[in-house]
Amino acid sequence: MAERPEDLNLPNAVITRIIKEALPDGVNVSKEARRAISQAASVFVLYATSCANNFAMKAKRKTLNAGDVLSAMEEMEFERFLEPLREALEVYKKGQKGKKEVSEQKRKDREKKTDSENDKSREEEEEEEERMDEEPEAENEAEEEDVEN
Amino acid sequence: MAAVVATPVSPTELDPDRIEEEIRGGPEAEEEVAPPQTTGPGTRLSKLPLARIKALMKTDPDVSLASQESVFIIAKATELFVEMIAKDSLVYAQQGKRKTLQRKDLDNAIEAIDEFAFLEGTLD
Repeated sequence: MAERPEDLNLPNAVITRIIKEALPDGVNVSKEARRAISQAASVFVLYATSCANNFAMKAKRKTLNAGDVLSAMEEMEFERFLEPLREALEVYKKGQKGKKEVSEQKRKDREKKTDSENDKSREEEEEEEERMDEEPEAENEAEEEDVEN
Repeated sequence: MAAVVATPVSPTELDPDRIEEEIRGGPEAEEEVAPPQTTGPGTRLSKLPLARIKALMKTDPDVSLASQESVFIIAKATELFVEMIAKDSLVYAQQGKRKTLQRKDLDNAIEAIDEFAFLEGTLD
């Protein structure tokens, strides 16, 4: 299925919600304005992607990473986004780590069950390297202690 | 919003891809990062569906691969963008003493605001 940029709109309901939450109560948004904002958002994604990709290519990487996107924001003059984006990224990364550990544990539990019921070794704190499902390059190196003054 | 985030990361340190977790401040740092979402940590940080964002990104022929984080950041940035353009357009509606945001308010904002210059000529 060949997806063309114009076919991929972001969900109207979500766009509407974001708009409503940004504006004060009592303000309405016309359908045309909403549609235009949604379109603008898609253009934004494409432009940001293209910009970020340039950074990746400059660094001779095939995979776009978060740093590239942040660099793109700066380039696009959206510096105001940098701080909130960095914060969100931290929270996201923590969440991802938790999810992966949980699914790793679940997988191991299943394996343990088939192995032997007697050998109940519960791994509580097994620090695993994150498996990058979609990330061929290990961007998230294991936690590094940053001892900085 | 995490107003007080006592992470050791100084603003000038630009390395967002590294998990900067000071071990000694570990548990504390965790608590102070107040997740903006309500449904538990990391389950829904972005309002926009990542799959859709990713599909959009992939329409660019020069893009081969994108990390999950990059997709997330773009989704989040898009959210911020929508907020920003809505607010900036509202100014024009208010100038016209209207309480309804209209397409022309958007056009005005795009024309007036530098950051939105990339949108010129792209909307129907």
